[in-house]
Amino acid sequence: MAENLKYAALLLVLVIVQKTLVWLIAVTSYEVTPDIVLVGLAYVGIKRGKIDGSIAGFLSGLLLDLFSFSFIGLMALSKSAAGFLSGFFNNENKIERYLSSYGFVLIVFFCSIVNNIFYFTIYFQGTNLVFSDVLLRYILPTAVYTSIISIIPVIFARKKIRRL
Amino acid sequence: MKILSYLGNLKEYIIFSVLIIISLILIFQNDNLQIRYIRAIAVNVIGVVQSGFSIIPNVFELEKENKYLRETNINLSKELSQLKEFRLENLRLKQMLEFKQRVSYGIVTGKIIGKTLIQTRNNITLSIGEKDSVRMGMPVITERGLVGKIVATSSNFSIAQILFNKELKVSAKDQRSRVDGIISWDGEGKLMMKNVSKSSDVIPGDVIITSEYSNHFPAGLPIGFVTSVGTVDNLFKEIEVESFVNFETLEEAFVLKFLSHEERKNLEKNFNEKSK
Repeated sequence: MAENLKYAALLLVLVIVQKTLVWLIAVTSYEVTPDIVLVGLAYVGIKRGKIDGSIAGFLSGLLLDLFSFSFIGLMALSKSAAGFLSGFFNNENKIERYLSSYGFVLIVFFCSIVNNIFYFTIYFQGTNLVFSDVLLRYILPTAVYTSIISIIPVIFARKKIRRL
Repeated sequence: MKILSYLGNLKEYIIFSVLIIISLILIFQNDNLQIRYIRAIAVNVIGVVQSGFSIIPNVFELEKENKYLRETNINLSKELSQLKEFRLENLRLKQMLEFKQRVSYGIVTGKIIGKTLIQTRNNITLSIGEKDSVRMGMPVITERGLVGKIVATSSNFSIAQILFNKELKVSAKDQRSRVDGIISWDGEGKLMMKNVSKSSDVIPGDVIITSEYSNHFPAGLPIGFVTSVGTVDNLFKEIEVESFVNFETLEEAFVLKFLSHEERKNLEKNFNEKSK
């Protein structure tokens, strides 16, 4: 229970930071920002499995939707899928290895790709943008940027292991 | 038990599916450009799928449709028959109107409400009577030709003897050769032109009209045409005439406001009495 609360608190903080501060580090003319909630979600998925990953994804996504005041359910859908995908890496023997290696960056990249495909494909429906445009302008850049940001927790995890 | 344990193994996927469904429900609650576009795509996809399935006949729908079509067919047949009736009536009335404008005497139009065509004294009953100025002795005609003569009247009805009545005899003449004769019914089915001498010029196809000698009909009314010419004896010809009027299909007729001249009638009567 305490562990669950810890993860909930972590995701809540990440959601708040995502909605308030992340815009400051937006890049490219398309205002691409990293998805730090997804980094936390990948962490929860790897640690707790598919069920907790998808529930955490759904709730954090719903929270993001509520904060954005538009298109309720879209982020919940994409984050549920990403959380569920990260749960596939929940292997008791490999959890620490995944979290402290650059494999985590790769997992975040995959989850981000899935998340972005769901999110941006639906988000740009009805516009003149074709899928290739959306892929090159938003899906891939966001996934890459989020993966780069995910290096930070890996560095911390490695330092922590070294200390031990 | 096996099912429960199987479902237990699928727990992760079931929960994930539920979350996806909830998310989709939430998404479709929005009313923005993207959702409208997705709805339009969904409608198109459903339309394509439905049109694919539409080639499979639905027996119950077909039965219903068949019943509806049969009912419609009956109604349309009724309407068509009515329209045909109206068309024929229209045609008839139009011809009568044209005829009415052509005739110099006043005429009254009447519907034939009774008809006897199987006795030796064939009559027709008309829906017009004394109130419509119909009097005994007035000729009855159609736009085709002579029908007969009024023989009885009441306020609202009248009875007319027709050409196929043994009692009716009409002074007639051949329109081409001006040969005179008397038209009467032979009692079987033919009109005969009598009192025509053997040497007279009458040939099949000649038109027979009323003559000036008639005290009951104005001269020149068409009666019929000659169908055959034979000989009765050494003196007279036997001439068969077919009436222009088809009495079997007759529905309306005109009564001509024509009465014989009293002075002429009296003169002829007195002369005949003196001669006796």
